[in-house]
Amino acid sequence: MDRNQMQMHRQIANIRKSLFDQEYLDEQFIQLEELQDNSNPNFVEEVVTLFYRDSARFLYNLDQALEKRPLDFSKLDSLMHQFKGSSSSIGAKKVKIECTHFRDYCNARNAEGCKRTFQHVKKEYTTLKKKLEAYFQMSRQTGPVERACRPR
Amino acid sequence: MTEGINGFSSPRADVFPAGLRVLVVDDDPTWLKILEKMLKKCSYEVTTCALAIEALDLLRERKDGFDIVISDVNMPDMDGFKLLEHVGLEMDLPVIMMSVDGETSRVMRGVQHGACDYLLKPIRMKELRNIWQHVYRKKIHEVRDTESHESLESLEEILMMRNVSEQSDDGYLLCGGDMTPGKKRKDAEHKYDDKDFGDHSSVKKARVVWTVDLHQKFVKAVNHIGFEKVGPKKILDLMNVPWLTRENVASHLQKYRLYLTRLQKDDLKTSSSGIKHPDFSPRDAAGDRTDHIKMQQNEAVNSYRAPSNLLLQNANSRIHEVDLKGTASLQTIEPKKVLTGFAAKSHMASSSNIGISHSFGSTQYSTYNTVLPTQYSWSEGFTEIQFKQERNPQFQVENGFADLGLPTLQQHNQVNLQPVQSIANGLFSKERDKQAKSSSGTKSSFGSYSVPSQNLMPSFQPPDPSFQPPDPSFQLPDPVTSSTWSLKDDHSLEQTSINNLELSAFWLQGQHCSSTNLDMQNKVPECNDPEFIAEVPSNLYDALRFDYEYEYPSDSLEYPVVGQGLFIV
Repeated sequence: MDRNQMQMHRQIANIRKSLFDQEYLDEQFIQLEELQDNSNPNFVEEVVTLFYRDSARFLYNLDQALEKRPLDFSKLDSLMHQFKGSSSSIGAKKVKIECTHFRDYCNARNAEGCKRTFQHVKKEYTTLKKKLEAYFQMSRQTGPVERACRPR
Repeated sequence: MTEGINGFSSPRADVFPAGLRVLVVDDDPTWLKILEKMLKKCSYEVTTCALAIEALDLLRERKDGFDIVISDVNMPDMDGFKLLEHVGLEMDLPVIMMSVDGETSRVMRGVQHGACDYLLKPIRMKELRNIWQHVYRKKIHEVRDTESHESLESLEEILMMRNVSEQSDDGYLLCGGDMTPGKKRKDAEHKYDDKDFGDHSSVKKARVVWTVDLHQKFVKAVNHIGFEKVGPKKILDLMNVPWLTRENVASHLQKYRLYLTRLQKDDLKTSSSGIKHPDFSPRDAAGDRTDHIKMQQNEAVNSYRAPSNLLLQNANSRIHEVDLKGTASLQTIEPKKVLTGFAAKSHMASSSNIGISHSFGSTQYSTYNTVLPTQYSWSEGFTEIQFKQERNPQFQVENGFADLGLPTLQQHNQVNLQPVQSIANGLFSKERDKQAKSSSGTKSSFGSYSVPSQNLMPSFQPPDPSFQPPDPSFQLPDPVTSSTWSLKDDHSLEQTSINNLELSAFWLQGQHCSSTNLDMQNKVPECNDPEFIAEVPSNLYDALRFDYEYEYPSDSLEYPVVGQGLFIV
């Protein structure tokens, strides 16, 4: 491949690495990458897309539930539990961490804490989405990337 | 995949575990996609499902179409645990639970409900690679238990065997009842013809779970026809259970006859003492078989008598009425089988276990223990079963509560303990038959189910290997801790346990404690779910409908029979 492509590949690799280093993604993402093969060349992107599409409903429901007075903590907890489970599927590390915080506040029946943390959840969720979108786009432009390798 | 007669694929035994047929149930589409891909990478044959009900339909539709089920705990239409129980009861398949929640209580519930493993999300590929062990383990157990000819064949045949169950030809091979040798032979041959070893998918008989309800129908039919004139066809017609086959009934009838014969013999032998036998000392498994058999016989008789109420009386009277024909052969052949079943339950834990460990073949002989609870101690099962009230006191006593020095066993106490006990029991794998010795009722700290623990073991489906301490006696202390939890349970437990205890004749066949759906009606037990584990949803237990059925997750063994003369296999 020419120098340009090599550069692109390196860039993509760096982006990918930083996603791990900054803890946006965890081991699960690598699992997905390892599942990608010739029969499913875009597996990872498909999964991520599916995740973002499906999980939107949780955020919507959580938003709704947080508007109610008084707050139904067990319902909030249940919704967040499901959302967390879903987030774990793509290895959304930071998102998961915020989910855990949220659930802690739920258990403590701390309404303010819940609302605040929920904002964090949404922020991480959206940030990750953008980063991944950029990452996939670049990958597609560059062509097949090297085999997944664990971040050092 | 090789296509079977019905067009469903069968596992390729020659390359096991490749081709393992997995059903994945998860409402999260992302996870469903990932799991599907992971399982395919393991060379498994994957079917996905987003709804529990859909999964059950699929399983029912393709009775032998799957080897193992993996399900998420949180499903929108049905609680994962409930699904788990249904699958265990109806299809007798190993079920793996998944969840992002790894709380001990949740995991424990999974085990209680019969899960053979509990995976935490995110799930790694390597965890999925090994799920075939659960399928294999189950097969091995079945083989060991049934001692059918098929099971003694090569491993491949075992793996291909869909129904290594009590439906095996054992019943046909044994002399008993009024079956003429000629007829027997014919049936046996016919049965073998059906079992086409080469074509593993040909035998699609699902394991029939003889629930209390079903058995009652059976008994009613038998009594209506008249025991002398009874025949499988007539019974089947009278019972009017569409999915039941003549073969099912014939096999069940065989066992029933043997049971009655045994009861009759016992009846003549001993006088009712109404004793509780909480402390069956561990038998020396090393003793010779005959001795064991005798012991079992005695025990069986005793235990049979012990719960004076109810059920036994009915059975007794019935026995007297019945004029059993030549069962001479029973003596020689049956005893082990019969006794095994009998011994298995309740206090006879030790003896029963011994029986079991001797692998008397079909464990299908129901133990006519009156003290069923032990078996049902399968946590939830307990609560669901609607036993007659009277049972409780007896049960309590029998369960060796006395041993605990708790003379005034309150039902609540008992209740509390039971679930725990069952949990503990659940932890014991069936493999621990050897434990029979240690299991005397006294040992179990809970008292009530000590016996059950022994009995339970077989019934539990192969629990997570990590749960199986090799030394039986060693396990007993464990339940203690768990039992303490139960003490905190609320009254609902109490109620449920009572209900459970009341279950007079229930016979669980199959491996899981859970309400069986074989019987179309699902009676929701009145008991509330015991909240001995924090998050038990209130409707969970309702779904369990233990009514009378309590199944032991053991693949083999006998199913407890509550004395009422109900014989459920």
